[in-house]
Amino acid sequence: MSHLNQASASEVCVRSPEKSISWLQNFGMWLANNKLLLVLIACSLLMLAPFLWTVGLSLKSNQELMLGASAVFHFPYTLNNYADIFQNSQVFRWLANSLIVSIGMTFWVLILSSLAGYAFARLEFPFKKIIFVIILMGLAVPEQAVIMARHQIFSALEMHNSYVGLILPGLSAPFGVFLMTQFFKAIPPELDEAATLDNANKFQIFWYVLLPLTLPAQATLGILTFLTSWNDYFWPLISATEQEMYTLTIGIASSQQNFAQSEGLGFLASQAIFSALPIILVYIFFQKHIVTAVAGGGVK
Amino acid sequence: MNRKHSLIALAIMSCLTAAPAIADTQLHLQRFFGACEAKYGTNKDVSKAEGECGIMTSLINQFEAKNPDIEIKVTTVEWPGYDQLTAQMASRTPPDLVTMHNSVISDYQSRQLILPIDSLLKKADIALDEFTSTALNGVKREGEVFGLPIDTWTMLYHVNTKLMAQAELINADGSPTLPSSPEEMLSMARQFKEKTGKPYLIQILSNETAAYTRLMYTYLLQQDSNFFADASHISLQTKEARNILSHFKAIYDEDLTTKNMDYPASVSAFSNAQGGILLNGNWLLGTYTAESNKATSAIYNAYKAMPYPKLYDNDALYVDGHSWVMPNKKRSDDKLAATAKFFKFMADNDFEWSRTGHLPSMKNVLSNPDFTSLPHRTELMSVTTRGQGLPGGVKRQFAVQDIIGEEIASAITGVKTIDAALKDAEERVNDLLGNL
Amino acid sequence: MEAPLSTFGEITVTIVKSSRTSWTGLLFVLPFLIVFIAMIVIPLIWGIYLSLHKVDLFGPGRFIGLENYVRLFSNKIFLQTVINTFYFVLLTVPALTLIGMGLALALNKESPVQNIVRGIFFSSTVLSVTVVTLIWRIIFIPNDGLMSNIFTAMDWQPIAFLSDPNWSLISVAIATIWWCIGLPMMLFVAALQQIPSDLYEAAAIDGARKWQRFYYITLPSITRTIILVIIIEIVMQFQLFGQALLMTQGGPNNSSRSIVMFIYDAGFRRWDVGTAAAASQILFLLILVAAMAQFFVSRKKGASQ
Repeated sequence: MSHLNQASASEVCVRSPEKSISWLQNFGMWLANNKLLLVLIACSLLMLAPFLWTVGLSLKSNQELMLGASAVFHFPYTLNNYADIFQNSQVFRWLANSLIVSIGMTFWVLILSSLAGYAFARLEFPFKKIIFVIILMGLAVPEQAVIMARHQIFSALEMHNSYVGLILPGLSAPFGVFLMTQFFKAIPPELDEAATLDNANKFQIFWYVLLPLTLPAQATLGILTFLTSWNDYFWPLISATEQEMYTLTIGIASSQQNFAQSEGLGFLASQAIFSALPIILVYIFFQKHIVTAVAGGGVK
Repeated sequence: MNRKHSLIALAIMSCLTAAPAIADTQLHLQRFFGACEAKYGTNKDVSKAEGECGIMTSLINQFEAKNPDIEIKVTTVEWPGYDQLTAQMASRTPPDLVTMHNSVISDYQSRQLILPIDSLLKKADIALDEFTSTALNGVKREGEVFGLPIDTWTMLYHVNTKLMAQAELINADGSPTLPSSPEEMLSMARQFKEKTGKPYLIQILSNETAAYTRLMYTYLLQQDSNFFADASHISLQTKEARNILSHFKAIYDEDLTTKNMDYPASVSAFSNAQGGILLNGNWLLGTYTAESNKATSAIYNAYKAMPYPKLYDNDALYVDGHSWVMPNKKRSDDKLAATAKFFKFMADNDFEWSRTGHLPSMKNVLSNPDFTSLPHRTELMSVTTRGQGLPGGVKRQFAVQDIIGEEIASAITGVKTIDAALKDAEERVNDLLGNL
Repeated sequence: MEAPLSTFGEITVTIVKSSRTSWTGLLFVLPFLIVFIAMIVIPLIWGIYLSLHKVDLFGPGRFIGLENYVRLFSNKIFLQTVINTFYFVLLTVPALTLIGMGLALALNKESPVQNIVRGIFFSSTVLSVTVVTLIWRIIFIPNDGLMSNIFTAMDWQPIAFLSDPNWSLISVAIATIWWCIGLPMMLFVAALQQIPSDLYEAAAIDGARKWQRFYYITLPSITRTIILVIIIEIVMQFQLFGQALLMTQGGPNNSSRSIVMFIYDAGFRRWDVGTAAAASQILFLLILVAAMAQFFVSRKKGASQ
């Protein structure tokens, strides 16, 4: 552990520089804290083990893995499984589809949820209570319960195999509205009052005064929506039935030769890693921001 | 915001305006078997292709090359693809041709969602007696043919001959000695365990229901148990069913089989020579044959595949098969003609497909020396005549299979008594079939 | 700071001065509302209609009243899935809440190490269910699995994690907790960061012990987050589907079959859309009741304090 950690670890227990606490006590706390830290690091390694195991599998030839997964621990390693993924020329098309759908969904969820959240937190309008309660009840609706009806609605409107068809169902998730409402409520009302005195209208207050303050919440919701959309499986499976409209999840699943996955443990692992890769990369690069955002955007 | 706006708008537009300019007749095929474009995407020489995906892709390429006026559009779906197909049919947008398991045909046929193809077969000059009896029965419903069968597949005994020799269960000609009755199987299994210290059977007992159900069907058929007296009732509380379960429970209880293995675990267990006989499908033929040719392998020169032996009164086998079926929708005459050509082409090239390890649906392939010289095929040929599916009208066979598999596994692993499991299985299946 | 316990999810809010009832507010809600009605309300009502019919996906059905519901309540398997689902919620929700809180308490600092560890615990959340179950199947399988290697090394009696009826749902729960722990942890970290540090300073001056500070300051301050986490997790875990489907297929002997799996099975495998719809309504009610009960219990507690 670096000195930096020692400092910050001890800082927690004693936020203010209380000089009355003796050096000895301080050291004891540091030790206690670092013991905790060590345990945590051990735990996080445990947390990572499944990941590493899968990465290991993805770097082994399927033939070798047929003889047992313990082959992971020794040479040779190969990138063939990843090369096999690119055998399918449409993989980049699917990647693009996934990006378009996930970004589109994220964008629209943020817009719709912020607008609604603001109204529920700040404005009075007819049937407000009942509408809010109904939307909250929507949280309890499982996707499988509505998916066939949705499918038929989209059929009637001929919206399958389109980006709109893939994005629209995701926009109905009530969680965003709920989160944004809570967040808008937490903003001190004095801010709007000041703006009202300046003769700003409701939309201006929303747009210029409050929205910028909700950025952490936007980031939280945005990340969660993006993740959900990226990993979505069931709706794209039955809505995008043309290969050009497959998302990455569906496309990769369709390239699997058979349900008999035995021959392809390594291939399967590489698919898993590959389809998670864009997200993992984004995550690694923005780790700090994401963590702060999710943390900062939490409901107060 | 505007950029994303326009991106989405653009996306919508491109979807709306993507109406293809059709000059040729277009056939939209939807299939499983996976994707292997980079390797076989342009390959028209089928003989150079390997594996289900490679051979199917190359066959379709070759067909397209031979018929420049027909444009084929292929959609590959995740196995088995019925969730999508059902959704497509519910919204009335099915493809022109789909791969389907014969055991699933009844579901779609009974709701008029797929069409009989008798007239197209006639048009394509394919006589029904060119198909093997097993294949033809698989696609025939109420006197009409509802799909072009391309193969028959079944479960096999994948045998480790080296371990069998060690257990002195080998014939003079080098073939393994297989049991001819349950009692003999039990004593052979004990002998095997005693001599080799390994379990006689390698079975999938976790996270899978199909293998056990197929085993049950096979041995019920062998006892002439009329367990589907009519297509909407199963009877499993029978002496025959109890025979089978108590036999396999005995094997389980005496540790004569591997336990708790899921599908991949059982497949690798056989490669590692952890047991004598793996009960699994013919699709593993190619993999194990290749494995047994490698000097470093634990099953080097020690692999044989046989159909399930006759344990009871007759030698019936439960089989299933893959077919091309024609979803119900309006088609132009050109499209029908193109479909007929496609059927003819698939039937003519059935030998190529049989190289996948599946057994041919066309009789003439059986006598084709190219076929008989493929490894293990002579031993397996009997499958095409011994094989039976469930009675044609039995619907929801995938769901039925799940129920039976679950209950049998409960009985064999001792979670339930045999009688309770059979009773539950029977009730659940009948409840399912009675409420369609 | 006294945490306003009773305002969680409440509709009455600080009303901006002079804002009288007007339709403008509705305008803000309208875009979401339209999508919500089209994508959730209409399908749900349509589902209620379907649940009163004997119907598949391909044609008009036949009205049968409540028969689908009657059949469900006499269906052993369905009742089993209800029990399984409750058991699963009991296995996961308290664990997710407590572990999430514990991690947040331990990681509620700004240091590089803590940041990274926090990141690691959040990382599993980004994976899709297919990846998660693939990973855990590989861990739990006998012989080659990570667990079985560990058990053999320790010379313990190996456990058939996925094929022992007593373990299957627990195994699915373990994988689920691993997958879902990130969100509760982050929500708790957020809540902890909102607690004004002068509260702790004051407590420190008063000589409050660690657990006293936790009990009298931390806990009351994050009560709303605790309720939020519990409700979100109840709603999510009641909808168990992918993990069980991919890890155990509901087996053995239905010991890990969930209600949503039952719905999927009835709707897509058996085309028994009426029964699937009826089961969906029951699940919807169960979730609603569970979430509401939690909400009201905590509200009452808050009010009596």
